[in-house]
Amino acid sequence: PRPDVHPLPPGTHLLFAQSGRIEHVPLDGHDMKKSDAKALLHLPEKVVIGVAYDCVEKMVYWTEITSPSISKASIQGGEPTAVIQSDLNSPEGIAVDHLGRTLFWTDSMKDCIEVASLDGTKRRVIVDTDLVNPRAIITDPPNGNLYWTDWNRDAPKIETSYMDGSNRRVLVTDNLGLPNGLTFDSQSSLLCWADAGTHKLECMHPSHGDRRQVMEGIQYPFGITSFGKNIYYTDWRRDAVVTVDRYAGRESDEFQPQKRTKLYGIATALAQCPSGQNYCAVN
Amino acid sequence: DATRGTPNDCQPCPCPAGATCAVVFKTKEVVCTNCPAGTTGKRCELCDDGFFGDPLGQGGPVRACRACKCSDNIDPNAVGNCNRETGECLKCIYNTDGFFCDRCKEGYYGNALATNPSDKCKSCSCSPLGTVDHQTACSQVTGQCPCLPNVAERDCSACQPGFFNLQSGNGCERCNCNPIGSTN
Repeated sequence: PRPDVHPLPPGTHLLFAQSGRIEHVPLDGHDMKKSDAKALLHLPEKVVIGVAYDCVEKMVYWTEITSPSISKASIQGGEPTAVIQSDLNSPEGIAVDHLGRTLFWTDSMKDCIEVASLDGTKRRVIVDTDLVNPRAIITDPPNGNLYWTDWNRDAPKIETSYMDGSNRRVLVTDNLGLPNGLTFDSQSSLLCWADAGTHKLECMHPSHGDRRQVMEGIQYPFGITSFGKNIYYTDWRRDAVVTVDRYAGRESDEFQPQKRTKLYGIATALAQCPSGQNYCAVN
Repeated sequence: DATRGTPNDCQPCPCPAGATCAVVFKTKEVVCTNCPAGTTGKRCELCDDGFFGDPLGQGGPVRACRACKCSDNIDPNAVGNCNRETGECLKCIYNTDGFFCDRCKEGYYGNALATNPSDKCKSCSCSPLGTVDHQTACSQVTGQCPCLPNVAERDCSACQPGFFNLQSGNGCERCNCNPIGSTN
């Protein structure tokens, strides 16, 4: 009944940010059910950048830069609630560790990566050196790894660390331009990124380092997420969500919302949490 | 509320032409849902990210949304480059600063408006030994650091002719050479 919070039907969905709203497109198999796309949340005064999803409590989390904050709302309907409101300058990428029950984000003005519990408590800076334009951040909860991009025009890079910021390593520096988007597919253990400078989609196994190109000639990717065989990315030139079949290496579909304005972060809201246990529980 | 049965049940959206609207259930507030291109907000009164203006003229004359005006000193890949209402630049690069990224930030000097980024703002690099209170800021135009007494050069890195002992950190002292035995 609330026009600003539409509960989502069961199933897997794409959630993405467009200024002033978070939209969703249901997935039918791996295909976007574009006719059923609609706004999940209206946040008319906000500029939402990053979107993440907690499959346990079925909550969407987002970063917002006009009154810099991190908030959450149930995708089954419910009030948006602020999680973090203080000491943020330009929070961009956001990621949830659904096993550890924590939240990670990048701040492109503080040039740091922070972590907090999903309720906003136990907040801590875990990386605050050698960052210029940190943007995308993602988690690999079963293995306890964190990945992020920095689109510093002088030295763009993709990095990894453990979830406490230790064991930090640079994964990619060569042939990068503006790595705006990053996604990790836990089934294939592939880390994939979208680059608005080289106009390429590329993937690699973080442990073996075998890097390969999925597609080139894409326009201006910002956010990216993966689900099974597909990669979905938001594009600033096309104002659209583009589907790429990563095995075929070609674009297979596009969704352009009625409102023509930039799309930002995108996340897959899985119907169920992927199997896997917390890396801490293994030891 | 279309169920009350009065002529006023349905009212026009308080939104610019072309936009749709909805009523927020809890607060009964009306929110526009499809604002015209480039605008957003409850009443389409705000500009999209990367633009500034006052499209409904709420704070004075109508100012259509325009791209952030930051002297070519912002990066188009950044988000939140300027304040959506005032246009104040928030993410100046190339060591620039100011409302329009039109001057060098503290500790830098030069011409923020130069075409080539390498000609824009250079670090003051004031010599700590020769600069008042070890300051790092200099004149934003000339680059002159505030020198201690009898200290010379833009960066206060040398004594004036006839003076020595920059190392003292208190300025330079007169050489006091005997004019008869000295060469100049």
